Amino acid sequence: MYDGVAPLWGFVAGILPTLLKATGVTLKLTVLAMCVGLAIGTLAALMRISRNRLLSSLSLAYVTFFRGTPLVVQILIIYFALPQIGVKLDRFWSAVVALGINAGAYIAEIIRAAIESIDKGQMEAARSLGMSYGLAMRRVIIPQTYRRLLPPLGNEFIAMLKDTSLIALIGGEELTRAGQHIISATFRPWPVYLTVAGIYLSLTALFSCLVRFGERRLQQ
Amino acid sequence: MMSQPMVQVSHVWKRYGALDVLKDVSLEVQKGEVVSIIGPSGSGKSTLLRCINYLEKVDSGVIRIAGNPPPSDERTLNLARSRIGVVFQHFNLFPHMTALGNVIEGPVQVKKMPRSESIEMARSLLARVGLSDKENAYPHQLSGGQKQRVAIARALAMQPEVMLFDEATSALDPELVGEVLAVMRDLASSGMTMLVVTHEMEFARDVSDRIVVLVDGSIVEEGPPGQVLSVPKNKRTREFLSRVLEGRRAQLPAALGAR
Ligand SMILES: Nc1ncnc2c1ncn2[C@@H]1O[C@H](COP(=O)(O)OP(=O)(O)OP(=O)(O)O)[C@@H](O)[C@H]1O
Ligand SMILES: [Mg+2]
Repeated sequence: MYDGVAPLWGFVAGILPTLLKATGVTLKLTVLAMCVGLAIGTLAALMRISRNRLLSSLSLAYVTFFRGTPLVVQILIIYFALPQIGVKLDRFWSAVVALGINAGAYIAEIIRAAIESIDKGQMEAARSLGMSYGLAMRRVIIPQTYRRLLPPLGNEFIAMLKDTSLIALIGGEELTRAGQHIISATFRPWPVYLTVAGIYLSLTALFSCLVRFGERRLQQ
Repeated sequence: MMSQPMVQVSHVWKRYGALDVLKDVSLEVQKGEVVSIIGPSGSGKSTLLRCINYLEKVDSGVIRIAGNPPPSDERTLNLARSRIGVVFQHFNLFPHMTALGNVIEGPVQVKKMPRSESIEMARSLLARVGLSDKENAYPHQLSGGQKQRVAIARALAMQPEVMLFDEATSALDPELVGEVLAVMRDLASSGMTMLVVTHEMEFARDVSDRIVVLVDGSIVEEGPPGQVLSVPKNKRTREFLSRVLEGRRAQLPAALGAR
């Protein structure tokens, strides 16, 4: 399949299409898991700051568990243990769910900190106009957090991009796993792993730039 | 039948933990009346305004606005607040909205007023506070005095029955105080019911119908400005006033020296 004895550049050019295809899976995983993480994280942050004790402690328990245990263990639980209680997801969706729920815990803390950093007078001013709590959150408080959220959420996205490599553990065909496959067929770990690392690095560098650009745009 | 007072505070107690902040406070403000609340720092002036706006729950006693019973649920609470305008010491403008955006926010979101109609009203309010040329400015592009005038326009946009001012000029540079007081004077002479917490004794004397002195959570004196400020009956009022006037004198030489 691969020309194991080809000269270096020829070899790298030969494996690149396979690796780039797997990069597509890595990106899809990252984006989908980030969406899950944002949705869960926002909900958990709002629950955490709500005056309802039950909601707030549920959220605290969630954040504590998923920040306090290794992501690898969480991935293994979702892929290997959940089916035993009847929740069966394929590799790809197990990965999305595991990465998303894990990121959600960190994102919840990021969003909570951003909301709490907004001056209390803003909520008072909104409420004194007759806004309900929800309306005040939606119109006044949350929009003010966007600029503060962008850098930490950008970091979260980049961390997630790298964490998708852990999915190789359950046999998910993403970039790292694709590299391992090539190595077992060609026995040339150096060029393969360096190419894989190079692809991750290009992506993370690209997204760092995008985040910095977005930040400047938001500051206008 | 006697008409209802616009604001009726009866026998209100408010505690924070072991601290009694308001102790059996009773106060009535009639429609169109301007009442100034003066008193030393920490005496409970802000707390009283926050209770009147139902931002704080009272521990006992009743506060009625325009004769309505205190709100019992979220909906009536929001409705009650929408009919009370509040102007804060630190303006609390929404920084992500323009001056015009700040003013139309309440009418559009809370009253569901059509956008075009509320923009028209907001423009006339901004004109009234002398800021027609600033409708597209964001708060960070405005001076303190301009910010506070936008904040007044924002409160007025809800067409409140009563306006509460909590040290509306205390955070301003001295040279910007006048423009905000001018707007407040204009508002008072237009017949707005106003409850004004202030350290501006001249304003309290010239504009208010009545002055209330709050010391240590109790109203120790109340009456027409001439009487309260010139011939105070209560010892604690006299102490407070002499401290305020001393502060004024102490500031004067410094201010002159700085020229
Ligand atoms: N949320 C709170 N929790 C605990 N104590 C509070 C709270 N808000 C106010 N207090 C206390 O209540 C007292 C009255 O405060 P308040 O802000 O009403 O005074 P004030 O008359 O407005 O003073 P100032 O002129 O400094 O604004 C103070 O001793 C203050 O420390
Ligand atoms: Mg105060």
